[in-house]
Amino acid sequence: MSARDGVLARVRRAARHEVSHPGAFEPARMDSGWERFASTLHAVGGEPVGPVQSGDLSWALSELCADAGRVVMGPGVAQSLGPGPWEELPEGVSPQSLADVAVALLRGSIGVAENGAVALDGRHAPVRALPYLCERLILLLETSEIVPDMHQAIARMPPDATRFHHFYWISGPSKTADIEQTLVLGAHGPRSLAVVGIRDLQ
Amino acid sequence: MDVALFIPCYVDQLAPSVGLAALRVLEHVGCRVHYDPRQTCCGQPFINTGATREAARLARAHLALFEKADAVVCPSASCVSTVRHRYAELGLELGPDAQRLCARTFELGEFLVRELDRSELGSRFPHRVALLQSCHGLRELELGHPSERVYATRPEPGVTERLLRAVEGLELVWPERPDECCGFGGAFSVKFPEVSTRMGRDRVRALAATEAEYVTGSDVSCLLHLDGVARREGLGPRPIHLAEILASGLDG
Amino acid sequence: MSELLDARAATLLPDGEPLRRHDAAVFDLRRRRDAAVAALPDFEALRTHAQAIKTHTLDYLDAYLERFESQAAAAGAVVHWAEDGAAHNDIVHGLLRERGVRRVVKSKSMLTEECGLNPYLEARDLEVVDTDLGERIVQLGQELPSHIVVPAVHRSRAEIGELFHVHMQTPSGESDPVRLTEYARRDLRPRFLAAEAGITGVNFAIAETGTIVVCTNEGNADLGMSLPPLHIASMGIEKVIPTLADLATFLRLLARSATGQPITAYTSLVTGPRAGGELHIVLVDNGRSRLLANSTHRSSLACIRCGACLNTCPVYRRAGGHAYGQAVAGPIGAVLAPALSSQAEGRRLPLASTLCGSCSAVCPVRIDLHGQLLAWRRTRAHAGAGERVLQRAAAVVLGRAALLRAAGALVRLCWPLLARRWPGNPLGVWLLGRQLPAHPGASFATRYRRLKGSKR
Repeated sequence: MSARDGVLARVRRAARHEVSHPGAFEPARMDSGWERFASTLHAVGGEPVGPVQSGDLSWALSELCADAGRVVMGPGVAQSLGPGPWEELPEGVSPQSLADVAVALLRGSIGVAENGAVALDGRHAPVRALPYLCERLILLLETSEIVPDMHQAIARMPPDATRFHHFYWISGPSKTADIEQTLVLGAHGPRSLAVVGIRDLQ
Repeated sequence: MDVALFIPCYVDQLAPSVGLAALRVLEHVGCRVHYDPRQTCCGQPFINTGATREAARLARAHLALFEKADAVVCPSASCVSTVRHRYAELGLELGPDAQRLCARTFELGEFLVRELDRSELGSRFPHRVALLQSCHGLRELELGHPSERVYATRPEPGVTERLLRAVEGLELVWPERPDECCGFGGAFSVKFPEVSTRMGRDRVRALAATEAEYVTGSDVSCLLHLDGVARREGLGPRPIHLAEILASGLDG
Repeated sequence: MSELLDARAATLLPDGEPLRRHDAAVFDLRRRRDAAVAALPDFEALRTHAQAIKTHTLDYLDAYLERFESQAAAAGAVVHWAEDGAAHNDIVHGLLRERGVRRVVKSKSMLTEECGLNPYLEARDLEVVDTDLGERIVQLGQELPSHIVVPAVHRSRAEIGELFHVHMQTPSGESDPVRLTEYARRDLRPRFLAAEAGITGVNFAIAETGTIVVCTNEGNADLGMSLPPLHIASMGIEKVIPTLADLATFLRLLARSATGQPITAYTSLVTGPRAGGELHIVLVDNGRSRLLANSTHRSSLACIRCGACLNTCPVYRRAGGHAYGQAVAGPIGAVLAPALSSQAEGRRLPLASTLCGSCSAVCPVRIDLHGQLLAWRRTRAHAGAGERVLQRAAAVVLGRAALLRAAGALVRLCWPLLARRWPGNPLGVWLLGRQLPAHPGASFATRYRRLKGSKR
């Protein structure tokens, strides 16, 4: 008997097939405004920026990326921005070739007010290592896409979200407290994370 | 009201004054108290180490002895929790009478407050007193509010706290980490004496920092362990059982 | 006496400053957890809901495992099954060997600790680098993690600085956590870029979609599974949950219970391999199906490894994780050890608790942890013949009022002798750190008789 069949046979014998699934959880009502999202993001070490009008986005991002070194923007960002100190993410590059990226500028979707997380869809971060290799990560978030809690956040995930290999929830910069519980930002990934709220992103 | 007094073996032998105080308090509130000297041990030490056969024998004897009681009252929370929650796990066939008896076995404080609705007894104890919330009383009998729990609305004070707040002259204080275990744990205290004592020392230090004259609680075993550590360390408030405080200053 | 949590054992956290620091650091996590969960008015209901999902999932685990397997395979992952830790290690090694891999980066996985994967691979000439900072510290120190969330919590900054100095040539005497973390980052980044394979654990596996979910704060798992072409994810069979919607419930509980964060910095959902890469998922039993068949103890499989029970456990905080002698320490470690550990020592761990119940009160999936410890004690696996005889005798004495009172009279008579420390004192263990109370005088029964007799 294969290991698979052996394990499954034992599990099948032990499973009782009695208790049904409890169904959906009804969470307590909570606020889903930018203010609450921004204050949670701040608490987890991120920087809320804005919200700005999309017309002001280019200017706001130039400020954030000034003198930063190599700035790379992902799909869905270029159309909102004019020329600036950034380059489009080249197609078909190896992740290793992005090791020197200072700032990654990516289009986030779905903000979660209760935990400051922003969803990053595989389509908007085609090189999946990019948001972890960069020194600074900037995520753009349409403020109307903020939901109060994780239940609604997951319910909002597009039906094909899992078809694009990866889907991230990112809440604040990379951090560790493994040395005497001292919080240090930038353990491996980005040392800082900014989320730019936008009122009317196309 | 008729109550059967349940004085656990170690209270009988090591802290008889607690039993006398409980008797005094119950009589003060008008109970007719019956004490059967044939009672011994509820079986907790055996349940605690998994000696189910020995525990079951003691549990059966305990249930038989208190069979006729309408309510059983005991000044030791962990023994009450044993009867109320653990007897069902011993594989005994508990009939409806036995189940009722398990449910009708009360810690002294909860009996006064929840059953008799009496928290003001007229006791007087003009001292600064720290409260040691013993784990089984707190988390299994819910004599207070465990710090781990989230309450949607602020609950009213627990039964032990309500009784102490009604004692004239008593100033109630809480140690830091108000419900950290003292480290007794029955068999644990002798099987892992080093860790048990470390826990006890930390509790004694936290209690000493409150500058209380006394530390009280509803479990004699925790107080004995703490007393032992406090004496060795030469530190900390003197232990006094809740029943002894409640019996202080009563008329007659 | 066995050495677990024993004062004579080198594995017990040293008294004094290390003990004080460990207790404070770990209890701080408990405090953060309290603050975080207090902000959720429906927290207790959420725990109940999580427990219900887990109970249901375990009840239908066969169906969910098959569903997960087929969905993961449909997404392009290769699913492997391992009966035990040895089979798991063999599968992982086979995958690495076939591809000529020499350098592996690994992120935190309690399962691979349980299986002893690192020493297995290292013995076969592979370079395995743990990339979670805490894991890296214990790897350099050649020891087990002492905590499932903060593996190096038993180490002081000075000790870590010394380890880094020896292994990474950092300046001698450097002990600043910010600078030490930066040194580790610089040391590990090239290793990530050069690695040929990444091994990660799995926090949740979603049957509905064949997705694995990995939660970290450092981002190390993400680098490890997105830079090298080969990603191997190891998971116990109990990690599967039915749907994406269920994931929300567990994500709300996990980080809040663990460290008081509202969610970990990174929650990565991975479905199938990335373009040009490979994803292999190893499903490990290693005693879990046996535990599932044990109706008394199956609920312990609901554990999501948040570490909250360790953080709140007053015994764990005073003993340190190494005293448990297992990959997983603390209350959940003591609950799982009798079922999953190959060591006989593990059977004694259920005794290493005061049964204070704080673990059960914090558990986000409402495992009755102290009830579980008590239930393991009922198997009597820990009790030797001598202890059984003594207990039988004690039960006879405590079962009869006359014998109890006679024994009590004897003890009272010998009280001054028993209160002193001398070799052979039967109360010697009690007296190690405690004294006896003042002489109690006559028993309650005697005094009651006098009292009531005099009134009559």
